[in-house]
Amino acid sequence: MGKTITIDPVTRIEGHSRIMLQVDDSGEVSSAHFQTTQFRGFEKFCEGRPFYEMPYLMERICGICPVSHLLASAKACDALMALKVPPAAGKLRRILDLAQLIQSHALSFFYLSSPDLILGMDADPKDRNLFGVMRKQPELGHWGIRLRKFGQQTIETLAGKRIHPGWVVPGGVNEPLSVEKRDHLLAQIPEMIDIAQKCLSWFKRELETFREEIRTFANFPSLFMGLVTVDERAGYYQGKIRFTDSLGNIVADNLEPEDYQDFLGEAVEPFTFMKFPYYKALGYPDGMYRVGPLARLNLVDNCGTPLAQQEWVEFRALERNAVLSSFYYHYARLIEILFALEHILEYLLDPIITERQAKYSASLNNLEGVGCCEAPRGTLIHHYRVDEQGLITWANLIIATGHNNLAMNRGILQAAKHFVRSDKLSEGMLNRVEAVIRAFDPCLSCSTHADGHLKLQVQLLAPDGRLLDEIRR
Amino acid sequence: MTQSIILACGNPLRGDDGAALRVVCGLQEGYTDPETEICCAQQWTPDLAESISKSQLAIFVDASAAIPPGAIRLVALSGRCEPPGLTTHSLSPERLLGLSLELFQKVPERAFLLTIGGASFEHGDQLSDSVQKAVPAACNQLKALLSGVTLPDSPQF
Repeated sequence: MGKTITIDPVTRIEGHSRIMLQVDDSGEVSSAHFQTTQFRGFEKFCEGRPFYEMPYLMERICGICPVSHLLASAKACDALMALKVPPAAGKLRRILDLAQLIQSHALSFFYLSSPDLILGMDADPKDRNLFGVMRKQPELGHWGIRLRKFGQQTIETLAGKRIHPGWVVPGGVNEPLSVEKRDHLLAQIPEMIDIAQKCLSWFKRELETFREEIRTFANFPSLFMGLVTVDERAGYYQGKIRFTDSLGNIVADNLEPEDYQDFLGEAVEPFTFMKFPYYKALGYPDGMYRVGPLARLNLVDNCGTPLAQQEWVEFRALERNAVLSSFYYHYARLIEILFALEHILEYLLDPIITERQAKYSASLNNLEGVGCCEAPRGTLIHHYRVDEQGLITWANLIIATGHNNLAMNRGILQAAKHFVRSDKLSEGMLNRVEAVIRAFDPCLSCSTHADGHLKLQVQLLAPDGRLLDEIRR
Repeated sequence: MTQSIILACGNPLRGDDGAALRVVCGLQEGYTDPETEICCAQQWTPDLAESISKSQLAIFVDASAAIPPGAIRLVALSGRCEPPGLTTHSLSPERLLGLSLELFQKVPERAFLLTIGGASFEHGDQLSDSVQKAVPAACNQLKALLSGVTLPDSPQF
């Protein structure tokens, strides 16, 4: 008789989830489900609020990537006001976006995934954490802390706070960048670039030891999606949407983010609060695609900054066509850190960056607006409708992690079929299944917005803990 | 090298939990010292360890539900380093000092935890009356520590 193996909770990711593996009579894993067990509901409870409040409400979705929600939301509000932000504001927003990418990628790589990479997938869970890494390889711990600190401090320097800053507003940013602050940031970048290059050198040497994981961690053909700029670079803050396939062919290009409903569908499954977006032309679930660092490096023809470009060329040479193994998300993350540092340097050296005009004003000019940017984990879309008073009547969010939902589910099945033997379970086997999810770096508190299908239990408790009422659905 | 670092912890949208941030705001009014780094956060995270290791004085400021509302407790932390533990989301002052020692082989010569007792940690951006009244005194203790005055540990509540 078959049985179910539950991994609960999935550790070292952002948010709460579990993995359910179904084992058949012959002891083989027959299905795998990645379940997001938390529910947020931001799309619903923002209804009725004035549109200009949205950036500050929406950034509260997440403590790791609030800047992405802030930017996507502010861009949706820019669209509601039908204005373009001042040139300096556009570049300052881009720096903020890249700074967040650095801190978020550093968190994912060093804090969450490096324990598997340094200490081994089979290491004792007691030691398999950032502090275990620091004991075994202190230099790597230093690098992670320095990079994350730089990202956080850059956000704080620009926006006043590391988490949930209010600096980005509809129409631009609240305060221009001073020369002193610019110089303070500029002074730190050479050391950060040096660290990023050392990390890449180290990781490339280590790759050989992970051949089995590379082969089995969500390594399959899929589409890739992301924003691409007019000069064929990954468009982190702005661009048009491109889909490519596993052979590297462009499947769809120059798609306007505001038309996302024409080419993206959203399916809902009864076992999770996370939606399943898919490419409409291929239907559900065949329209599976991946987003985020791996996708972004697969989508473009060049990286755009000198040092990252060299790394990108080497990365793309891993496979003849698209790089398919999701284990390489880690590798792509390090290249993106280097790219982001070089790009921040470019922006800071542009004289426009300290211009005083950092915000334009306008009133409501459209009743519908879409904002889109690349969050660290992939493409983020905020879509709002308002009434004539500017109050939100409807909101839809498509979150980076959600885009990867189909691929994550299929990825854990692939890894579980390869590693899990139900007659003799080991912690290391199950950790490898979790590590597939970690490679995608999901942010579940961001991405859990489906409603209406999962069984829901709401309990009303008195201050002393007594159950006063309960509803089950 | 930064001489002093103040690490204020709290959520300004949860009532008295924001007391530490208010104390630091009070300190900043009329007080500027380029050798004092001020860091306000909702949680103390590992990336603070480097700045701590570079300081000669570290003062952690936090609110607590474990001491009477409005009470101020000062505890010297020098030598009270603890192993960092498992979580990377939030660390205690002792664990941050332990991490600083483990990773950077240095800890501040002097370290303190200044705690203000809170009455209410519910949603809201206002401090309760008792905590509001305690802010100036806590701010004065901070200034005294920064000026090099040695204060005795507070009695246990």
